[in-house]
Amino acid sequence: MPDAILVIGGGVAGIHVALNAAEYGSKVYLTDDTPSIGGIMARLDKTFPTNDCSICIEAPRMYEVDNHENIEILTNTEVRRVSRKNGGFTVRLLKKAKFIDEEKCTGCGTCIQACPISVPDELDGKIGGTRKLVYMPFPQAVPSASVIDTRCRAGKMRGEGACIGGCVVDCSQCRECPIALCVKACQKEGKNAVLLWQSDKPMDIEVKSIVVATGLKPDDPETGLYGYNVYENVITNVQFERLMNAGGPTGGDIIRPSDKTHPHKIGWVQCAGRGLKEGGLPYCSKVCCMIAAKQTIITKEHRPDVDTVVFHNDLKAYGKGFWGFYKKAVEHGVRYVRAHPYDVCEDPETKNLIVKYEDLDTGEIHLEEFELLVLSMGLVPGERNKKLAKALGIELDGYGFFKEKDPLLHPLETHVEGIYLCGGATGPIDISESVIQASAAGLKAVSRNSEVVR
Amino acid sequence: MSEDDIRVGVFVCNCGSNIGGIVNVPEVVEYTKGLKNVVFADESKWSCSVDALAQLQNSIKEHNINRVVIAACTPRTHEPLFKRTVKAVGLNPYLLEFVSIREQSSWVHMNNPQVAAEKAKDLIKMGVAKAAFLEEGEEIKLPVKTDCLVIGGGVAGMTAAQNLAIQGFNVTVVEREAKLGGLLNRVGEISSDDREIPSQEIIKAKMEQLAKYPNIKVYTNTTIKDVSGYIGNYKVTVQSNGTEETFDASTVIVATGMQEVEPVGQFCYGENPRVVTQLQLEDLLKQNTLDNIEHIVMINCVNSMNETRGCCNIGCHVSIKNALALRERFAHAKIYILFRTLCLVKEERRIVERAKDAGIKFIRFPDDRYPEVQSENNHLLVKVYDTLLGREFRMPADLLVLTTAFEGDKSVDEVKGQLKVSSNAEGFFQEAHIKLGPLDFPADGLFLCGGARSPKNVKDTTEEALGAAMRASIPMKRGYIEADGIVADINLAECSGCGICVDNCPYGAIKWAAEKEPVVIKALCKGCGLCAADCPKNTISIVHFSDRQLLAMVEAALEENPSQKIIGFICHWCCHGAVDMAGVGRMQYPPNVRLIRVMCSARVSAKHVLRAFELGAAGVFVGGCEFPTCHYIVGNYKAEKRMDRVKKNMPKKGFDPEKLWVGWCSAADGPKFANIMRDMAKKLNLG
Repeated sequence: MPDAILVIGGGVAGIHVALNAAEYGSKVYLTDDTPSIGGIMARLDKTFPTNDCSICIEAPRMYEVDNHENIEILTNTEVRRVSRKNGGFTVRLLKKAKFIDEEKCTGCGTCIQACPISVPDELDGKIGGTRKLVYMPFPQAVPSASVIDTRCRAGKMRGEGACIGGCVVDCSQCRECPIALCVKACQKEGKNAVLLWQSDKPMDIEVKSIVVATGLKPDDPETGLYGYNVYENVITNVQFERLMNAGGPTGGDIIRPSDKTHPHKIGWVQCAGRGLKEGGLPYCSKVCCMIAAKQTIITKEHRPDVDTVVFHNDLKAYGKGFWGFYKKAVEHGVRYVRAHPYDVCEDPETKNLIVKYEDLDTGEIHLEEFELLVLSMGLVPGERNKKLAKALGIELDGYGFFKEKDPLLHPLETHVEGIYLCGGATGPIDISESVIQASAAGLKAVSRNSEVVR
Repeated sequence: MSEDDIRVGVFVCNCGSNIGGIVNVPEVVEYTKGLKNVVFADESKWSCSVDALAQLQNSIKEHNINRVVIAACTPRTHEPLFKRTVKAVGLNPYLLEFVSIREQSSWVHMNNPQVAAEKAKDLIKMGVAKAAFLEEGEEIKLPVKTDCLVIGGGVAGMTAAQNLAIQGFNVTVVEREAKLGGLLNRVGEISSDDREIPSQEIIKAKMEQLAKYPNIKVYTNTTIKDVSGYIGNYKVTVQSNGTEETFDASTVIVATGMQEVEPVGQFCYGENPRVVTQLQLEDLLKQNTLDNIEHIVMINCVNSMNETRGCCNIGCHVSIKNALALRERFAHAKIYILFRTLCLVKEERRIVERAKDAGIKFIRFPDDRYPEVQSENNHLLVKVYDTLLGREFRMPADLLVLTTAFEGDKSVDEVKGQLKVSSNAEGFFQEAHIKLGPLDFPADGLFLCGGARSPKNVKDTTEEALGAAMRASIPMKRGYIEADGIVADINLAECSGCGICVDNCPYGAIKWAAEKEPVVIKALCKGCGLCAADCPKNTISIVHFSDRQLLAMVEAALEENPSQKIIGFICHWCCHGAVDMAGVGRMQYPPNVRLIRVMCSARVSAKHVLRAFELGAAGVFVGGCEFPTCHYIVGNYKAEKRMDRVKKNMPKKGFDPEKLWVGWCSAADGPKFANIMRDMAKKLNLG
């Protein structure tokens, strides 16, 4: 049986499975279907309940992964087919083209500066974040290599004036490009790392066990939910997190979308995506309460005069230090109201939001005006869970998360022996729980069939 | 090595046009050739390219270079590559110094190539000055054998033990009670998703597993008397019925569990026998001694979520599970659960629906208005304010169950002293890092899991036990732990034996070898330099960041135009990250600062700062991680205190304390660093 293990997903969970297993001595393939490892955590500003800076603590681990001789990082890579072989697995991976030679690219950013077209960033688009068609996923990305938006090649950005928009030849037909500014810029640097003609590459690996650490994604509110996508100043908690982040589109300045001014009164709607609305989440995502506590504390630390109100349901302060963190928010002057807002409308002149809610402790109906409204959205399964479950031959639960065979007696094991779960793949979870599960799943993965006969 | 033997090679990278497009690299190389000890200097388009690395290796051999200075991007991403490269041609990697002229010069002074070039020259001069004093370092290996001590034989300890034994490690489980199983012994059933499992079944299954492995030794009725040593060579003494036994262990997993906080004097507990805790109720359910019960009341969040304790994490679920168990026995009893907030996550909420279907009533009371209980003639009367209805209720109770908080086991204080670890106010052990090191203690070789860390259910405990077993397995499987060569070294000839270093080391890496004779266990040392900066006798040196090296950099930087220069000491992890981010973001800031990298801001001592002022520096900046982040647990806190003291003493030495700045930047906060530099230049009137 092969000795290597495959870790699917390079977020904080996957990184820790990889590091544990690699330190243990196993060869690790760490795949991620995005261009960089790091996952959601790499884009957060702070972590509760200590307000540790997120990237400050994660980036050193990312570099450690990058420099570890036992770990092979495969970004932009999807798991396509898995078959059992010799007690282990043969896995067909598809490494999707970044149109960049990762070996040659040094992440110097010259290509990015040469690119004439800015498009909304995937994560920050709604709050004004842009990126070029050739871009770094984020400054600390690992591998530190640019990636080219596939739309650029297919001529889809022709209307927007992309530099290769006029070309009628399919990029895959060429081996050099006299038009693309990024190609030229990189050549001028003497690198020639931009390869617009690069194609997706399948590869097969053999492993003894697989750890699914694909994480989860923040729920995207439907248009109209508390005025989201209708009123400019209604944003999600993830967008607010990016506003707080010095590495975000505003450089850490908390400004509202409509007029780019600092809001003086901000409201948080907890459980915004829960089942109380049609199509809402039927479960508690458990981290949103602490995210709100964190965001209000940071807001108060930035500007103590900002009025902050959290409309909450049951308070989930379940973890170590969480209750103290909530108390810290209260001490900072954050107002917690047990209420479920049921209507939001916008003042067309000021673009302020008027929230109508019932105070569940008093039963009274109130109207309150906010300059910015943050929807605390829950966590939902990754988009590729279904496909991946099918490829791996494992089951999903009713919500779309990966299912454990026996959560109580054999946690993190699936119905297929040799395939294990950890982190957000199992459901809503916080960072430390992900790290714990990563160690646990890592142990199962490395020690599989290693039972010493005595 | 005499100074004549020092042969420095300087390799300047153009980084395509990223450096070369701004800084006149050939000019810098020429300048470099004139620096003391430099025997070779060259440039390359991309120093990190395969051909340039080969060229670097050739040059080292050809010119007999024994100190390498790389002037390029940033050590945070590229130093490991160059270290590997020089190591491959037989040069000790600690004889390499990395100078950041892209992030610290060409990218942040793009509009002024001349200024950028001057700064690059200075930075290289500082690197070359340090290089003269570089000394060889070595990755230190400490052998670790394959025996693990597990303290506590509950579900956490048993799970960890089994999973260690699977791999062939020898495990000793020490349990205080007569029987393995811990808290589970007191619990009737454990509920998970949609089913209930008798906890005895879980214990039995775990015990059968343990029995399968001859490499597991179980001591029951046994307590730990003493633990001494460190990873790889712990000596453990246990005692049982008056007899003592001593054995070796390489790693230790603490799985001492948790206990209920006894609600003495609260809600008539202790006064009326019908007032019990949830665990006592489990006993009563098992004994099947409950009868004649018509009114059952449970009060949740007893001793939880108050000034001293947080959420107990399991109480809501436990109360509902037990209410359902009571419903099975007493089909017609009235059952109330009085709660503040329901902390049930993901699918746990389903149990609420089951409870409601079973006729169990939930009443929410306000956070600041707990129910009151009266006991008269053995009759209990509960008064509760129902938030929903906005009025007070009175209800009789034949059985009042208090869902009380959990705290660390009573042995916590003892274990804390034996292992020299800490715990929080709730009696739970303190992990190395709450997010990324949840199962590790700060000192290598010590791990924790389960209820010893914080209150939790069986599933989470099992996961933590598996995780702790993984963490403990790594050094035992490798057979050693390895420390980076950046470590402390004590010169005993000068040492007064004051013990400050022994007390302050966050990793317990400095021990007493004999009286007044501290010794650094190098494999445990993380190289932060806190001990060196605090040593009153200056007897501690840090490899790669010695006083001589740091002072050489200060002196080189201030050789010319000191009155226009700021000396900045920045920590490798966060402040350097912020500097790099400022570079990546092309944030332009005044060019006065000359940065000196240290691993932790705690490495910077008064003498480094004062030396800069003696040489006429316009200002000094000390930058570390933003609180509460510190990669060495407490380094930035210590640095802040120390710099406060330095500031206080500066007037006595004739220096203006306003010229010493401290700043704490997260690794993402390039703008903050750039702003500090702008503010400093302004306040210090620098041109």
